[in-house]
Amino acid sequence: MPVTDVRVDDEGIHARSAREVILDVCFDGRRIWSFWLHRDGEAREDGHLVAWPDSLRAFLDGSTRLSLNEHGDPTLVYDEEVRLGTAAGRIAVADRHGNPLALDKDNRRVKTFAGRSAEHVAPLMEAIDEVITGLGKVGIEGFLAYGTLLGAVRGGRLIGHDSDADLGYVSGHTEPADVMLESFRIQRDLATLGYRTTRYSGAAFKILVPESDGSLRGLDVFGGFMREGQLHLMGEIRAPFQRDWIFPLGTATLEGRAFPVPADVDRFLSVTYGPSWRVPDPAYKFETPRSTTRRLSGWFRGIRTSRKDWDRAYATGSFDRGGGPSDFVRWIAGQEPDPGSFVDVGCGRGRDLAAMVQWRGVPALGLDIHERSFRRQAAQHAENAAVRFWTFNLLERRHHGAVAAYTGLALPARRVVAARHLVDSIAADGEPTARLAELGAALGQGGSGRLYAEFLTGWGHDGYPERLRLLRAVPAEEVEGALRAAGARIRHRELVPVSAEPGASVTCRIVADWPSDGLSAGSSTGSSTGGEA
Amino acid sequence: MSIKDRLSRGESRGDLERRVAELEAEVQECRNVNLRVAELTDLVTQLLVPLASGDQEKVRELVEGYHAGL
Repeated sequence: MPVTDVRVDDEGIHARSAREVILDVCFDGRRIWSFWLHRDGEAREDGHLVAWPDSLRAFLDGSTRLSLNEHGDPTLVYDEEVRLGTAAGRIAVADRHGNPLALDKDNRRVKTFAGRSAEHVAPLMEAIDEVITGLGKVGIEGFLAYGTLLGAVRGGRLIGHDSDADLGYVSGHTEPADVMLESFRIQRDLATLGYRTTRYSGAAFKILVPESDGSLRGLDVFGGFMREGQLHLMGEIRAPFQRDWIFPLGTATLEGRAFPVPADVDRFLSVTYGPSWRVPDPAYKFETPRSTTRRLSGWFRGIRTSRKDWDRAYATGSFDRGGGPSDFVRWIAGQEPDPGSFVDVGCGRGRDLAAMVQWRGVPALGLDIHERSFRRQAAQHAENAAVRFWTFNLLERRHHGAVAAYTGLALPARRVVAARHLVDSIAADGEPTARLAELGAALGQGGSGRLYAEFLTGWGHDGYPERLRLLRAVPAEEVEGALRAAGARIRHRELVPVSAEPGASVTCRIVADWPSDGLSAGSSTGSSTGGEA
Repeated sequence: MSIKDRLSRGESRGDLERRVAELEAEVQECRNVNLRVAELTDLVTQLLVPLASGDQEKVRELVEGYHAGL
């Protein structure tokens, strides 16, 4: 049965088909998006409506030649000039540098491999080669995995609708903690070779490879191991498997180069994509069994809570730009006429840190999850060896250790540690209050520092939390409780409406320290109406 | 005690479902320890031991190098 009754409007794409179909959507001849009509659509009287994904809507203002075809079949089931929105120009789905974008299987906007020339992807191929060689130097036999393996085996090319490359390896360890230690070591070795990396979980990380036009392409390195007769591979696989289905590795060609692949590619791809892996499906979604997710998450995950929200925020160049130092840091400066150093945890754009450096002339450390957040301030302070900006994940204890060590070396007491809108910008299941309290204890132990935290405690109707992209209001008692549990003395607590308007959001300011007598946990000298800070 | 015995003793299905949920949570707690063990072991072997035994002039380099590999 063919696909019929196709209609395209501002709501989405309407179509009828008795059987499930995967449809590719092309704008002016270029694939932008793929979907399953029944799975992704909403049943209507005249067939199914698949709404435009939010990630695409921002571009849908203008005209385009819109065509639809069943994936793998070039026959067009729809091919019309379409106008969406009100603008007169052509629709261009591209980033601000003009790089064409498309949607991946999770409907995220990505620079896919489609339309990328051999010259563009050459650095990625070289990186795959180098990373596999690097893994070999530390005794790890890496191989192509997931979509990259699929592309190599199906046609020797990167899959057009894919946007990153995937490598896997199967460790000789069987205990998850050992697998993670090994993954940490591999990442460190690759960083020594000059690669930029970011960690996804205890057993997977991403290498950021610059392409020839300067854009960054991800190369994911997924750790795997055998345990109880099962192959475990981050981030989706747990299946009965034999080690000799992996080793000795075989070879497949990708973009003209030979790369290692698992010994039994058919079995490997079957546990990855199911037995129908040979049939192309750009809208394929992993359906990981709950027992697999529970195991992999329990062992390895929990360090990326809310990370996507902040990656997205800092992908927007205009987010939190402009304006001067916050009222909070002005207040801190009023309380701290002569600090020894300043640490800003969750420094964002770095304006508060720059202000404290200017006002007090002290050594300082700015910490935030995304290097893009503070890039401008870091460049402005590049000549000042006493000022550092570091990427920092509050949810990784190794980051705490590195910061604590640096602080001991380079940031003299008394340390002023600020954390403005940090615990309210990470979902509760990441336990950011407990992690902040631990960090505060490490930086302020023995009376060497004070923690100043400000967070949203009353979600108002003034747009303040939305503007700052805060995720939740945090009860003051939660933060106080976490600080006390980490041995802190609460010196001050104050509720501060962010404006005089009715319905204004309310923040809470808490000041804590860790006195050297170690006996003051739980005592409080401050109050909700203000007190000594 | 087997599930059958529990049911025959009058424990409701709801009680058993709650017990299973508790057990699942407890298993996850045990699994979570793996990440903590790995992080702390890495910190001790890669940062604290070299800091304690290293050349003081190289300490800052060591700390910055550790951070760069995170």
